[in-house]
Amino acid sequence: MAVRILLVDDHPIVRQGLRTLLEGRPGWEVVGEASDGIEALDKVDVLEPDVVVLDVTMPRMNGLEACRQIQRKRKTSLEVLFVTQHDSPQMMREALDAGARGYVVKSNAARDLLEAVEAVSQHRVFTALARSPNASC
Amino acid sequence: MKLRILLADDHEIVRRGLCSLLQKREGWEVCGEASDGREAVEMARQLKPDVVIVDIGMPYLNGLDTTRQLLQLDPNFKVIVLTITDSDQVIREALDAGARGFVLKSDAARDLVAAVEALQSKRMFFTPRVNDLVLAGFLEKGHAISRTQPPDLPTLTAREREVTQLLAEGKSSKEVAVLLNLSTKTVETHRSNIMRKLSLHSIRDLVVYAIKNNIIQIQMPPQLRSTAETTIA
Repeated sequence: MAVRILLVDDHPIVRQGLRTLLEGRPGWEVVGEASDGIEALDKVDVLEPDVVVLDVTMPRMNGLEACRQIQRKRKTSLEVLFVTQHDSPQMMREALDAGARGYVVKSNAARDLLEAVEAVSQHRVFTALARSPNASC
Repeated sequence: MKLRILLADDHEIVRRGLCSLLQKREGWEVCGEASDGREAVEMARQLKPDVVIVDIGMPYLNGLDTTRQLLQLDPNFKVIVLTITDSDQVIREALDAGARGFVLKSDAARDLVAAVEALQSKRMFFTPRVNDLVLAGFLEKGHAISRTQPPDLPTLTAREREVTQLLAEGKSSKEVAVLLNLSTKTVETHRSNIMRKLSLHSIRDLVVYAIKNNIIQIQMPPQLRSTAETTIA
């Protein structure tokens, strides 16, 4: 299944790592990158991705606020997946409350990201904290 | 002959990004990847890389102590420290540890290639803020920035700093003993010495000390709707 992905993280080197991982999957395309929440909102409007891969801690507008605003304005079947350093059930709940469909911890992104994008692109929930042995889907 | 680079960062996704960046350069090769400081030291011992790039905030052995151990192993190792902050204290400790390059993670895509090139040419590479601090130290004191230990750190040995980090990461004495290949009794002795030397009275005090002295790093999440919390990175 073709999936169009927008990457949002304030560290270009992290975006590069995510890109190399995601683009290894046939049919998946990284259609754009943003370095903060405000830029992400603009790019969501222009690029209309299927999945937004979103960091939590970013300058100008953090990922939680960006996620809430994406949910308010979304016109498509777009889904949000958080990829964050915060290995915290509380932060995960906050992300899901903000409207995200998935939550992956950065330290395990290489393990969990592909499965998570596949799940959320099919509108299924995917959450995995680093300390949890198995992802829930 | 290829320039051989060893990467040490606990996030595989960051290592992928770094690899992708560095391997675009003809003649450069990432010869190994380590996910913590102890692994980095062991891999460096075996692989003898030309350049080692170390993240500061790594588990088991942070990047600063990794740099110290690498240079104890071989003073010719060229180490670039990657960091999320360029606070004065972190800069001083990185210089003190012997790093020849200092790159902010947020600027790595822009600066890292230049930093490796500098080290390849037997030069150093620092962010403008490091240069300012070194210059200020020179102008104020009439000499370059001090390479002595910062005031909070002089009494701990390298082993005690390792034990401090592992205890502050939440490991028990028994777990520390297994990781460092020591007896539990020896770890308990280190632990008592650390607490006595630093006048600490609880593990909570030890964690605060470790954070304050960049032995472990924390990242504050955005304010949650319910309560703020701190996670140890």
